Formats: sequence, structure tokens, C-alpha cells
Amino acid sequence: MECAEAREHLSDLNRGHLEAGTAEAVRAHVGQCASCAAALQREAEVRALIQARAPRYPAPPALRSRIQAAMAQDAFGGPGWRALLRSHPWTVGSLAGAIAVLLLVWGGTLWMARDPVSRLAAQAVAEHVEYAKEMMNRPIPDPPALVKELRSQVDFSFEPIFRGDSQVQLVAGLVSDLLGKRAAAFVYRDGSGRYTTLFLMPEAGTTIPAENRMPIETFKPHHRVTSGRHLLLWKQRDLACLLISDLDEAEMAAMFLKIRKAA
Amino acid sequence: MSDAKTPLPAEALNHLDALYNLARWLARDPTEAEDLVQETYLRAIRAAHQFQPGTNLRAWLFQILRNTFFTRYKRKGREPEVMDPEVLDRMSTLEGPTGVENRLAGPQDGTAGLDLTAALKRLPEAYRSVVLLADVEDFSMGEIARIMDCPVGTVKSRLFRARAILKELLRDYAS
Ligand SMILES: [Zn+2]
Repeated sequence: MECAEAREHLSDLNRGHLEAGTAEAVRAHVGQCASCAAALQREAEVRALIQARAPRYPAPPALRSRIQAAMAQDAFGGPGWRALLRSHPWTVGSLAGAIAVLLLVWGGTLWMARDPVSRLAAQAVAEHVEYAKEMMNRPIPDPPALVKELRSQVDFSFEPIFRGDSQVQLVAGLVSDLLGKRAAAFVYRDGSGRYTTLFLMPEAGTTIPAENRMPIETFKPHHRVTSGRHLLLWKQRDLACLLISDLDEAEMAAMFLKIRKAA
Repeated sequence: MSDAKTPLPAEALNHLDALYNLARWLARDPTEAEDLVQETYLRAIRAAHQFQPGTNLRAWLFQILRNTFFTRYKRKGREPEVMDPEVLDRMSTLEGPTGVENRLAGPQDGTAGLDLTAALKRLPEAYRSVVLLADVEDFSMGEIARIMDCPVGTVKSRLFRARAILKELLRDYAS
């Protein structure tokens, strides 16, 4: 067997997907070819690394319910989308048009009617969850170095910033992208392994909703719960600030005060 | 449009997390990923009569997801590729480090030692998808070829090359 053929089979060999005869021939070649042997090892190594370390993103519960609803409507007939299409004769015969109308109608009710703050919240929560996964088992960098590095990566000033205390550690500083705007993200972890992410970005274009203000001492940030997590949104200096936390409401308020007062 | 009343099998919902996971690796942000998955299910519901019971529902859904991704995002040229996968495909996989992997991994921009997420995101989409379908979803080469609509040989060589690129990108990554 030649190298070219052997290499085609390396991945299947590792996964036990080869027929006995082919597997035998590939093993024989690998046994006497150092470069294919190295490739086989790399194959297994990288695969194992991906299986162990690549982050997995579970579907948001809201998406699941929307799809469940769409499937149920479809399975039980009306008033599902088929009925809907029949009641809009101008779309008949046009698949693209039919889907467009469908999206339009659902868009107004369920699917896409999200205001900018909701979109911001949804994205920030997803980032928060991703960071929390990423930060597990990582060595903690020292806060001043972390802040210094982030300072060089964003083109706005975010200091002074809360750098953690005896209860909560600053574990990461990252550049993030929220709805196309560059943001600085600070990730904190408490003693029980719960995470809080603070996003800071230039305030231009962000409106803090007037409703659902949570009084915390003299402050009144906007409060909402997104995907089961508490979220606070406020402005300080010329920054829009968004805090997302695994903590409960009272602990979250205490965390807010530390951050707000450090600034 | 077929009026045959063929509902999408209920077990289609069992694959939601896996589909969303791949969508997150394809789309730019979580909102786009949600839209992508949502449209995938809409298309699957519409096309349920084309699905042959007893065949691989999971692979069929992934195929729709990737087609949806192509028509929605790829066509708009919104994903900046580090290197065109077609060009990469035409290069030999056999001369060892031909420089292609090194060019992709290139230390000159200070990216050596990227973590795994960053390294995967740096792969051209066609390579990233093959790796995720093979390693995370454990699809066979034949299933991946069907999902990606390309020959099995292309899948194999993309997987092989993706490994080499990842290994290079991750060379300083503590294991
Ligand atoms: Zn060889």
C-alpha cells in the first residue's frame, strides 16, 4: 500500500470503520512508514482533543419551544402553516414566497420580533455561557496584567474597573463583539464556581429601557431575566454596561454595587 | 408544493442540540445560529415528504442545515475564509509540510498557540464542518460526504489536512 492510500484510511482506522483486510494493509504500511505513523498519531491526538475540549453549545430553550410549536402545528393540521398558506392564495406555487410569508407572519408574533435590547441580551447571555465553559480548569491570570492587555485591545477607556476581592476573582478579560460593536468583557468567578460577566462598550446607540428598573441603593439599572440568568443594563460615564450572572437576584445586586462603585 | 400530509418525525427534535451546536460554529453569532436552525426545521417540515423513513434522519437534517447555511450566508460572501478550501483541496496532501499548513497557522501574526476554539474558528468552513461532523457528531465519511455534497475522497483529504492545520495551530497549547 502507498502512502496516499494509507492516509485516506487513517481516520477510519482510528474509528474502527475499516474492513479487516483493509485495516490490516493500512497497519502494515504504518508499521514501516514513519511519516504515516506520525500522521496516524496526530489523527488520534487531534480527534481526542476535539472530543474532550471543543465547547458544545446547547440550543436555547426558547428556540426549542418555537420549533416544538411549529412541529406540533404541522402534525395536527390547523392553524398550522399549511392552513396559513392556503389562506394566502397569492403565494401558491412559489416556495420562496410561501416561506417568506410564513416567516413574516411568525416574525410578527414569535420568531423574530426582538427589540435591540433583547437581541443584545440574548447574545450577551450566550457569550457569558461560552466564557464560563471556557474558563473552567484554566489557570487564573493576574488581574493587573489582564487589564493591561485588554487596555491595548480596545479603543475606549474602561478604567477604573473592579478587579475582584476576597469573594470573587477576576478570571478573564476578553474582547467581545456584541451586535457588531466591540466590547470589553470581564469574567468573574466566585468560590462556588458561579460566573458573572461584565460587558463594557461605548454607549452610543444603546438605549436603556425605561421600564423594569431595579433600585439598588441610589442606582436604577434596567433588569431582566434572559435564559434563566439575571441581567442588568446601565450607563456609567460614556459606557454602556451589561452584567450577566449565574448568581441569584440579591447576590447579583451586591455584585453590581462592587462594580458600580469601583468605577 | 406537495400537499401530501407527511409530518416531520417527532424524533427530529432529538437532534436540535447537535444542529444548534454546528450552527454556532457556522454562524457569526448566537442570533444568526438560532435563525439558521429555525429555518432548517422549517425547511425540514416543508420537505418531510421527501424524507424516506428508515434512512438517516440525523444526516438528512444536517444536510438541510448546511444547505441553509450556504444559501443564507455563504452566498452573501459573509464568511471571510482564511484560505479558499477549493485551492487547499487541489494542493497535495502528501509532501508533508508543504507550507500550506504553515501559512494558515503562520506565527507571523502572533497566533501560534491559539486555544482550540480559536483554532477551529480559523479553519476554512468546509474543513471546520468536516472536523466537527466527524469528531463531535461521529458521522461516517460517507454520511459527511452526503451532508457536504462532495466526494468521500474530498472529505477524507479535508479531514486529514484539517488535522495537520489544527496540530500546527495548537502546537503551543498545553494538553
Ligand atoms: Zn506512508
